[in-house]
Amino acid sequence: MSEDVTAALEQVVENVTNGVSPSEADVAQLVGSPDLIALGMAADVVRRRRHGDRVTFVQIVEAPLGAALPEGPLPAQTGELRVTGRPESDAVAVGAIRAAVACAGVVPVTGFSFADLDDLSGHNVGRLAKLLSALREAGLAQLGEVSAEGLQDPDAALALLRDSGLVAARLTLGAATGTVGLSLMRQVASWHGVGEVCRCLAPLPRVAPSPPSTGYADLRQVALARLLVDNIDSIQVDWALYGPKLAQVALTFGADDVDAVPVAGAKEQGWRRSPGEVILRNIAGAGFTAVPRNGRFEAVDVGTGSERHAGR
Amino acid sequence: MSVESIASKVRSGGRLDRAEALSLYADAPTLLLGQLADTIRRRKHPARDVTYIIDRNVNYTNVCVARCAFCAFYRPVGSDEGYVLGFDELFRKIDETLAVGGVQVLLQGGHNPDLPLEWYEDLFRAIKARYPDFKLHALSPPEILHLSRLSQEPVPAVVARLVAAGLDSVPGGGAEILVDRARRLLNCESKATADEWLSVMRTVHQAGLRSTATMMYGSVERPDERIEHLYRLRELQDETGGFTAFITWSYQPTNTELGGVEATGVEYLRTLALSRLVLDNFDNLQASWVTQGGKVGQLSLAYGANDMGSVMIEENVVRAAGAEFCMDEAEIVRNIEDAGFAPKRRTMAYDILGGPLFRERDIPRRTELAVARRSGDTHVPAELAQYPARSRPGKQQRDAVSDS
Ligand code: SF4
Repeated sequence: MSEDVTAALEQVVENVTNGVSPSEADVAQLVGSPDLIALGMAADVVRRRRHGDRVTFVQIVEAPLGAALPEGPLPAQTGELRVTGRPESDAVAVGAIRAAVACAGVVPVTGFSFADLDDLSGHNVGRLAKLLSALREAGLAQLGEVSAEGLQDPDAALALLRDSGLVAARLTLGAATGTVGLSLMRQVASWHGVGEVCRCLAPLPRVAPSPPSTGYADLRQVALARLLVDNIDSIQVDWALYGPKLAQVALTFGADDVDAVPVAGAKEQGWRRSPGEVILRNIAGAGFTAVPRNGRFEAVDVGTGSERHAGR
Repeated sequence: MSVESIASKVRSGGRLDRAEALSLYADAPTLLLGQLADTIRRRKHPARDVTYIIDRNVNYTNVCVARCAFCAFYRPVGSDEGYVLGFDELFRKIDETLAVGGVQVLLQGGHNPDLPLEWYEDLFRAIKARYPDFKLHALSPPEILHLSRLSQEPVPAVVARLVAAGLDSVPGGGAEILVDRARRLLNCESKATADEWLSVMRTVHQAGLRSTATMMYGSVERPDERIEHLYRLRELQDETGGFTAFITWSYQPTNTELGGVEATGVEYLRTLALSRLVLDNFDNLQASWVTQGGKVGQLSLAYGANDMGSVMIEENVVRAAGAEFCMDEAEIVRNIEDAGFAPKRRTMAYDILGGPLFRERDIPRRTELAVARRSGDTHVPAELAQYPARSRPGKQQRDAVSDS
């Protein structure tokens, strides 16, 4: 890379530092450059402006549809009980949430994707609205995800969510990466009110692409999401999908929330190697302050036992 | 001195002292460290080439008397799980390595009291007789020291004998942290003190061989001791210029006596970047994808590394401690190109051999690394009967081999 290109990138970073939103030309400059660090620096400035040195994370217990729910009280560090899978009918969906809520106690229950529920409703807006309301009444704290990739009519979908009183835990880009991902991020950035019904943007692919994505590609996508999508407050990375190491590095490239830190394994691996300890160490090691949250994105205490749930 | 003024010093080509290095390591933002390391990498390698080597990491024995507290690989003398590879097994591994375009074997093993210096000499001669152009990158400084103690010959004489038998270069293993306080805690001071490790390397360089250097961080050492390690290497490199490359990796705690937790990915990138800044007289820094995984391994290229290390083919030591990542040549090349670099195949001495070999000829894809021996394979090589053993279990084993 020539010195000229480096100087141009440094100028972009400086502009962002001074509060100037990156222009199309700036973004093109950052995207086209192999200088990953410059891209990270620009994203980090924006991220720190929004969140300071705070990084939130949630520890979850998964409840796959059709499987037995956990017996007894959930472990104290559980921030969310997540129902996973694709329901076969409205009744199955609502029943699963009711059962999960009964099991979860004060722990928020989340689950399902907008696309799956839309399929289940036969793409009928009225039926979908009824199903969303029924799920909320059954105790669903937040919808699991909305995929930007699959949305035919984003405005209508966001309006439907708003009217149902449900918020989605995350907007994802589905499997979109590279230039497709970039163009989808630009579209999301133009969606009015998306930040009110989607708590965060999870920009990395939800299913492992083949060949697998690379570290550069993942971090580029995280950083660009932070730079381009300023109508969603949080950028999220997934511990379970991407692993603790990449999730940690992504915090220095614009991410501010870590999803899906498992609760399981805490006992089996010993205290220092339990996921809860690892995530605290990882966040501190990346230079940030860890804030545990629950499935409603409310901060909870770091303590153990009932203390942990005091904030809910 | 503030972080910003130290950063300016780096940008203008100044040499960091220990206090400045420690200050950067403790206080500089990770991205700034990366930016500075990348500046130095670009200065040293303006062509945007990233190199790698096709070789095989073979551990000829896992029997070891050193008993390092951080090691999950070794087995004590007399263990049912102890092994020594036979010459034929090693030849087979070299044949497989040649078939995928490999140019050398990285041969390291435990400090086995029942393998005398003559065994190594015979092995090296036999390899060179069969494969005259194939390179032997073998025996880290503690292994050489072990052979010196075992044979009661001084290190320069042992090195001379090994070179005469075919040794081409020396891997930088066994350095761990070159500070004796940490080495004592790791129970590896007796295998080689910091001074001894450096002294063996000096001898190797004086004998005309090149070597690599390593650092295993993240176990018991303090940050200032990591930095001390880097300065000890820098000083020897100033003196001899014999190191071709530096590789750092994080301590892998699984299945070890020491236990504990692994350092994080960010800590790896910070340590790598700092190494690039301190080791200003090292041309090459390798990414440790074997311990960090492919993704953070690739990110090393943004944090000062200019080399993806070895395609590996086989790995036993890190796997024993819980890390198991595999990248064949095609995958390494994909990662290099994805990061915007040009992949170049190299030798241990960093002579460029060409572009990706799999684009020139058909090489089967590989999704997992081979192991030294399949589990349950307990056979004892027949040629061991020719060499005297020192331990009682070793002597009994030799007798059994001779009888059969
Ligand atoms: S690190 Fe090497 S010297 Fe130490 S116990 Fe393991 S095999 Fe032996």
